[in-house]
Amino acid sequence: MKPLNLVALLLFVGGLVWALTLSERSVREIQSMYYATISKFQRGGSEVESTARAFLKEVEHSRDLEMRLDAIEQEFGKLRALEPRLRQLEIENNELLAALDFKERTQFKVTAARVIKRQPATWWSSVTIDRGRDADIAPHLPVLASGGLAGKVDLVGPNTSTVILLTDESCQVSVQVAGTAEVGILSGQRGQYGEAPLLRLRYLTKDAQIRPGMKVITTGRGGLFHPNILVGTVEAFEPGAFDGEAFVKPSVDFQNLSIVFVTSKTDQEQKETPE
Amino acid sequence: MIGYLCSLVILVFAACIAQQFVPVFMSLYEARILILPLVFLCSAVTVNAGPMLLLAFICGFLWDAQHLLGPPGGHPQVYTEPVEMMMFGYSIVLYAAMGFLMQGIQPLFREGKWPVSAALSGVAIFLYLTAEFLLITFVRGDFMVTRGVVMKITLSSLLSMLLSPLVFWVLFKLAALFRHTIRYEGLKTNRRVYTG
Repeated sequence: MKPLNLVALLLFVGGLVWALTLSERSVREIQSMYYATISKFQRGGSEVESTARAFLKEVEHSRDLEMRLDAIEQEFGKLRALEPRLRQLEIENNELLAALDFKERTQFKVTAARVIKRQPATWWSSVTIDRGRDADIAPHLPVLASGGLAGKVDLVGPNTSTVILLTDESCQVSVQVAGTAEVGILSGQRGQYGEAPLLRLRYLTKDAQIRPGMKVITTGRGGLFHPNILVGTVEAFEPGAFDGEAFVKPSVDFQNLSIVFVTSKTDQEQKETPE
Repeated sequence: MIGYLCSLVILVFAACIAQQFVPVFMSLYEARILILPLVFLCSAVTVNAGPMLLLAFICGFLWDAQHLLGPPGGHPQVYTEPVEMMMFGYSIVLYAAMGFLMQGIQPLFREGKWPVSAALSGVAIFLYLTAEFLLITFVRGDFMVTRGVVMKITLSSLLSMLLSPLVFWVLFKLAALFRHTIRYEGLKTNRRVYTG
């Protein structure tokens, strides 16, 4: 081996050892600095991605538009006939919500954020949002979307953040099957691409009375997520030798995630502590 | 040589920025064009081992800074089995390994057979992604290879490989600008023939 190459190899090994032994805090600082530098380009990239997506969508759907319009006109006629019945149901629904004190339980202080990049990392299920430290976003804050829980904040930059989605296996949530005493840990599954993802709910009792269609909600235990947030519905239950496992269809449409809501730090502090 | 190496470092940073503008092909199993690994692999074949290791360190460092997840959080009494996270710096090792693979075909590249290098860059990206996935599997357990994973790796490698002629064209331009010789056409004719 040439002496120069040997020196280069030794320097490389030295650098590698330094990188591998960095503390968690140092890694976070490095990542924070990196994101502070790169965030301008991420926003630029987001605009390119949005334009490309909008163009493709338009091309894809232009042929269907006429057919859809006809179908919508027919549906519209039917819906007008149903309107009086819906109004009555709306009144009844409002009364029931008031009775359950629903508003009180689900009122979080939230920050709305736009998804500016989907799946920025190769192997993790995550998105980048356009709100960061400037908007009081902090790591581990729960992220909601239309439908229920979407994930939690991972890395925070000055004006962008990374959200690790519920469909990633590293995003674990303590949940309960509504209407039962069954609690377990829900997480995404590795290697689910190009298909509707199913979440995996583990540590249920092996003879749990769980049926497809049952709602799954957060327990609020573990200091990460608020209680009673809808996560999804049970698709299947598989009893094992020692415990049971269920597969849950998420309530959030992750394929079309565009706006999310990050709960505030004060809400996070008020959350239930582990029992 | 120094001028060319500096230009490669700048090219790596430019690739890192360009990576932010590349969308993910959601309908193609979330495949993506991996510009930073591609620039590294193409550059690796044009330099010696020392500069290649420097580039591997920079690329791996930037890659991990962008992609590594933080600690899972949550109370250990409730989340008793948190998912293991990858260690910062693992990409540096993978980049160096792929760099050495590319250096293995350097003699062919120097003969002017850059299409072989272009094809190998696709193979190297395939191996890189496979190694990365296996490493994650090893750390986290539960070995599973789904059709989605295979398609994602394959399509990402193919899409990235299609860009490699463009990257080689940029590298040749930079080499000419800094008067760095990365191709020895003479090797074609001066090869010795042993008759026994």
